[in-house]
Amino acid sequence: MVIWLFAAVVGFPGRSSESQAEDQQSLQRVAAGDAGGLGALYDRHGRSVYSLALRILGDEGDAEEVTQDVFAQAWRRAGQYDAARGSVAAWLLVMARTRAIDRFRARRVRPEGRVQDDDGLTLQQLPATSPDAVSEMMAAERGVRVRRALEDLPFLQRVAIELAYFEGLSQREIAERLEQPLGTVKTRMRLGLLKLRDALVEVQP
Amino acid sequence: MSAAHDELKHDAAAYALGVLDAAERTAFEAHLATCAECTADVRQLRLAAGALAHAVPQVSPPPSLRARIMGQVSFAAPPAAASAVVVHDRRGLPAWLQIAAMLVVGAGIFVYAQRMQARVSNLEAQLQQAQAQVATADRQTAELRTVAFRAQSAMGVFAAPDVARIDLAGQAVAQAARARALWSRQRGMVFTVANLPALPPGRVYQVWVVTAQAPVSAGLLTPDASGGGSVYFETPVDILPPVAVAVTLEPAGGVPAPTGERYLIGTPSAL
Repeated sequence: MVIWLFAAVVGFPGRSSESQAEDQQSLQRVAAGDAGGLGALYDRHGRSVYSLALRILGDEGDAEEVTQDVFAQAWRRAGQYDAARGSVAAWLLVMARTRAIDRFRARRVRPEGRVQDDDGLTLQQLPATSPDAVSEMMAAERGVRVRRALEDLPFLQRVAIELAYFEGLSQREIAERLEQPLGTVKTRMRLGLLKLRDALVEVQP
Repeated sequence: MSAAHDELKHDAAAYALGVLDAAERTAFEAHLATCAECTADVRQLRLAAGALAHAVPQVSPPPSLRARIMGQVSFAAPPAAASAVVVHDRRGLPAWLQIAAMLVVGAGIFVYAQRMQARVSNLEAQLQQAQAQVATADRQTAELRTVAFRAQSAMGVFAAPDVARIDLAGQAVAQAARARALWSRQRGMVFTVANLPALPPGRVYQVWVVTAQAPVSAGLLTPDASGGGSVYFETPVDILPPVAVAVTLEPAGGVPAPTGERYLIGTPSAL
């Protein structure tokens, strides 16, 4: 594990740290009120933000609105970005996930007239990705590997992770949805996520 | 501890995915603070969770979206740098930490307010002091002006064309006392005295211009240690010509008409 952590921290210093530096420069321009900086950010990350929103919402119009919201928020809050908590890309994707899931839930809950569980979960409180995830997340081929690893997971592990990540469901909600005991859901989720991590580690030289 | 770990370690994945509910989250974070194993676990699981954003099929948005986004911000106010610096995104901080942060900020503001209050009080005190100094200076100026005026007036009396001289002689209670008054209807009276007895406590000498109608008070006289002194009195312009000038011993503060013993008395004589 020590070796893995070492590799995770120092590995892949090339392309991803370069693009992170570019992103931070763009964000500084945004913070100074330069719309060109936002354009540059959109050109680099608009596609992944839109794709994540589309995956969560399944509707192109909604995904466009979320993407628009994310970059509007980046424009307003560029000064609040903290590089210690993750890359600019991860920051944008966390915003995209949060907004898309909020919208998804609002859409899902209202027509059925269901009172939303008062479980206190607000997606505003979702943890940001960790700083060392930053360099990992940047490369597109990494995404392909993660997707394959996800597809290779046993059904229950994969669905538990997807419901949590893409729909923001709690473990209890997932257990209800899948008609599985809560303990089973917990162990499957953990197991599946550890396998994804292993898939990421394997790509390290 | 170990029992807690066995139970809570299964929540690490949900925590990394950000889907623990509030109670679970609080419990897990409390455990996290004391458990190195779970902390390392979360670190790795977050890595995997973050990667999921890239695991989705990549689809290009319509080109018009970029134009909409850029159009949106070009009409919006530029980001407020000040508020952006002050307001931090607290997403992901545990609730207790947010509350602690608010308490720290609150305490800081309280201390700051206290300091400002002390400073304001201090400045107010300084201001009052300065105002008092100005008042003192004003009063001293007024006093000096009066002194100057009186000196000038006294000089005026000596040079007045209508000046009359009245020499006063000590009476039975003060036989050694002598005085001279120079009086001008226009310019007032200069009164010079010598050898008056020391004043008893609560008493003062009062100088009277005695006219055909009644004695008119010219003013009070407090001699120096040797019983002498020189005083300038303004006297009413419409006063009748004095038939005499007298000095009596009166209660402190003076009286409207003479009541006490006569110490000096004299009548006008031509210069």
